[in-house]
Amino acid sequence: MTGGRIRNNIRKLRFNAGEMTQQELAEKIGVTRQTVLAIEGEKYSPSLEVAFRIAHVFGVPLDEVFQYEASAV
Amino acid sequence: MFDLSYQEKSILGSVAAMVLVYGYYFSAVLRDVGRREFGSGSLGRLIFAVIALIVIQVVYHTALALESHPEPKDERDTLIESKAYRTAYFFLTTGISLLAAGIIVINTVALHSREAWGTVTPFATVNLILLAMVLAESAKLLTQLFYYRRGLR
Repeated sequence: MTGGRIRNNIRKLRFNAGEMTQQELAEKIGVTRQTVLAIEGEKYSPSLEVAFRIAHVFGVPLDEVFQYEASAV
Repeated sequence: MFDLSYQEKSILGSVAAMVLVYGYYFSAVLRDVGRREFGSGSLGRLIFAVIALIVIQVVYHTALALESHPEPKDERDTLIESKAYRTAYFFLTTGISLLAAGIIVINTVALHSREAWGTVTPFATVNLILLAMVLAESAKLLTQLFYYRRGLR
């Protein structure tokens, strides 16, 4: 099955984490601010390693950060 | 207007430098297209173009590093670059293959023709190879800009 979409709650999680900036999150997970921007805007799906790092920063399970939305076949 | 990353600014500078330098170089080559040999004047122009490109790139990237904080490449930059190399490889192999086929056809026809056919000169060959390399590099840079703007889904 192809054509699914990966949604994320990073913007909400950043807000709940004391309004963490994209730059702060980028520094914590070792990517550039533009990559955080692209992930939040669902223009880039990060590697599993970066995805786990994001979940670790917010102290939540991975599926609370990312959700896979299968396309209707 | 656009929130450009350090990598995007770097690529834009490289594109501008290439357009400027190779635009000048190939416009001069077109004026000399009838020449048979790759003489010292043509070689000097090529060396000048390469040095000019290096100097412009160094000056631009130094200014860019002073103006904006340089960022190391992350996994997204590396992925975009690897996709761009695929495009560049296609352009380079296609260009070189077409060039090789063209040289064989033109020189074979010239060898067997009673008419006055011109052959592909060393001057033209060197410049066509350079053109293929410039087009491949341009394709790489433009592919990177495309993926930075459109995103990788």
